[in-house]
Amino acid sequence: MRSPHVARVRAERPRLGWLEVHSENYFVDGGSALVALEALRSDYAISLHGVGLSLGSADPLDRAHLKQLKQLVERIDPAAVSEHLCWGRIDGRHLNDLLPLPFTEEALALCCERIDAVQNALGRKLLVENISAYLRFDADAMTEWDFVATVVARTGCGLLFDVNNVYVNAVNHGFDPHAYLAAMPSAAIGEIHLAGFDASGPCLIDTHNARVAPPVWALYREAIDRFGVKPTLIEWDADLPALEVLLDEAAIAQSVLEEAHAVAV
Amino acid sequence: MPSLSELQRGFAGATIFSDSAALAGLGIVAAGLDPATRIAVYRNNVFGNYRKALAATYPVIRRLVGPAFFDAAVDAFVRGYPSRRGDVNRYGADLSRFLADYPPAQKLAYLPDMARLEWAVDQAGIAADAAALETAALATVPVEMWSELRFLLHPSVRLIESSYPILHIWRVNQPDAEDETVDLGEGGDRLLVQRTGQAVVIERLDAGEHALLAGLSAGVKLADASRCAGKVDSAFDLAGALQRYVAAQTIVAFRAPDLAQGPRR
Repeated sequence: MRSPHVARVRAERPRLGWLEVHSENYFVDGGSALVALEALRSDYAISLHGVGLSLGSADPLDRAHLKQLKQLVERIDPAAVSEHLCWGRIDGRHLNDLLPLPFTEEALALCCERIDAVQNALGRKLLVENISAYLRFDADAMTEWDFVATVVARTGCGLLFDVNNVYVNAVNHGFDPHAYLAAMPSAAIGEIHLAGFDASGPCLIDTHNARVAPPVWALYREAIDRFGVKPTLIEWDADLPALEVLLDEAAIAQSVLEEAHAVAV
Repeated sequence: MPSLSELQRGFAGATIFSDSAALAGLGIVAAGLDPATRIAVYRNNVFGNYRKALAATYPVIRRLVGPAFFDAAVDAFVRGYPSRRGDVNRYGADLSRFLADYPPAQKLAYLPDMARLEWAVDQAGIAADAAALETAALATVPVEMWSELRFLLHPSVRLIESSYPILHIWRVNQPDAEDETVDLGEGGDRLLVQRTGQAVVIERLDAGEHALLAGLSAGVKLADASRCAGKVDSAFDLAGALQRYVAAQTIVAFRAPDLAQGPRR
């Protein structure tokens, strides 16, 4: 949920399973945003989705950031807390973006150590999310899906599985997305993300500013067939449309989940 | 193969500073798209994020200089003043200092002061909340002790002084304002920025009010703050000002002198 929609969601209380917000947007000492989130918290389960903890940075873990996250978690008592499997900070400079890791043993060990530290500090399970990437490194020693699955296996963290990011990476780096799906541990998946991408650049770019593309919906159906019914969120963070467009996209996801549920029953 | 920290340092150099040696050292897999194009996707994303974030914090600066000037200034600012936090909302405190030294901005001498005002407005919106001053508690303090009290201002309070009419410029550059010419010679401003309820308000202060609030915000005793106000305004009405600032919740608490040390002689 983005700030332009907060007032209408508060006034109209649309039937939504839960709401997700960027944790950092609530790293504030006071003011209206926090008041609004606390009001919504009584009617909706809240998912805190982080973008700035930088789990894969060679820099030390940012304890001040972690402390703010912990305070927010204590204040909101969210249904889920998630972060990205990426890096963003080096030599004290933050690039404030979700940057790609090399899939090496060194990066794997570092991410696992950080996820352990975060889970210990928060006293709860963290969901980690796979990101979109526009390049790969020669240093890679394993596939992305092996890297992700190993992080989950070693740390016991949950997985926020982003189907759009898998599709974007499959196109950008030329792999079969089904191999990725097959490597994912179903039981660890706590949430699924869907989003729109931008195909007008040199490669697919995860822009969160459009409707979910047809091949991503197809991959989502396969994911739900394989993993079972999972809480699903449509991410739309830029060029925000009217709330109705978002509710319409959410309804499509809901129908996929209900079909899957009917088959399972 | 570069270590993780070498790789991340190189990545920051290749994106933020367009360093071609750093790019070459990254070992990016070409696979149909050259590494320079791939890293440019990240460069666009990173600078695009900052341009968007700072446009939200500094809408008047952007309007005054135009989008192209603003974007170029943000890019130079990012290179010179790194973001230190994973929370991009808190980035940009130093824009005023940057603009003061930025050669292309030298003709617009009021820009640094305007940046200070916009930063104050932005930060006032997310500062801590505070309860109103307990007037009953204040009433129990004997009047002869008042000069020894230290008053605390609301956490959102910011005081801005400028030799340019920055409030007038700020007002005519709001989205719903009518076109109007501002005479830079019409005089400077002393401003109080504060969140009242959930709205941030800007108020003009006279010399005495500014001196009083500046003293109180620096933590000096009422007697000293009042002396400062009297120096710039011999007719300064202390009682009236205190009453007004308590009612407006500009003043939210007071501290009596440390009784453990006994009364000062």
